[in-house]
Amino acid sequence: MDLQDLGYALTQVVHNLGAVSVTGGAAAGRGLKFAEPQAAQRALAALVLGGWVAQAASGVCFGAISYLGYGRFPDIHGIAIGALVLKMACAAAGISVAALYLAREARWSGPGRQRAWTAQLALALTALAAAAFLRWFS
Amino acid sequence: MTVFKPLLLICSLGLSGAVLAEDASVTISSPADGAKVSASAPTTVTYEVVPGPKGDHVHLYVDNGEAKVLRQLKGTTTTVDALKAGPHSICIKVVDKSHTPIGVEKCIKVTAG
Repeated sequence: MDLQDLGYALTQVVHNLGAVSVTGGAAAGRGLKFAEPQAAQRALAALVLGGWVAQAASGVCFGAISYLGYGRFPDIHGIAIGALVLKMACAAAGISVAALYLAREARWSGPGRQRAWTAQLALALTALAAAAFLRWFS
Repeated sequence: MTVFKPLLLICSLGLSGAVLAEDASVTISSPADGAKVSASAPTTVTYEVVPGPKGDHVHLYVDNGEAKVLRQLKGTTTTVDALKAGPHSICIKVVDKSHTPIGVEKCIKVTAG
């Protein structure tokens, strides 16, 4: 078994699980009725935060594995770079919103929390769409 | 000795990867290296690629700028936009699934006129 391929595969596992966490967590959070216990929403926010961190960390790992294997980063241009920047922006915004939610949600109104989940879902779907362009363009 | 064995294993895996990478190749059969091509029409490039176990697809570069991503590898032709008059380089590089060049490439020089 090739170590580099194994590294890519394990990194992809983490990346995919991160994508599922941010999308599924945000969709579930947005669908919750806000009379439901705050603890459930906080657990989902923590899951989404973990998902975004996993996405960012595994993204860095993809580049690192390429660099360790070939002494250079993936050769991407144009649309792919735009997609990568968009993914990075979504991750940064997603981490910020999730952290803010965990820190301050007790002081937020129901509609305020709903807006946070809507933003998270939009960021997750945007990142997923960008990932497809990053995969097939270069 | 306990440290030596894992190091040996890692080195041997790296070596096997290097040997396998040598199984990849790129051939550009047209235009020939040094050929003159038309500056008023697209240039047709005929190539054949063996990606090897590490390669996935190829990137085509004109004057070091990426022009195309090519996923068909055998007995294929593609075109590059009409080149400005003067010397140019055309390169095809084998890349892996993450678009990273694996070090196997073929470059030719042409002169458009």
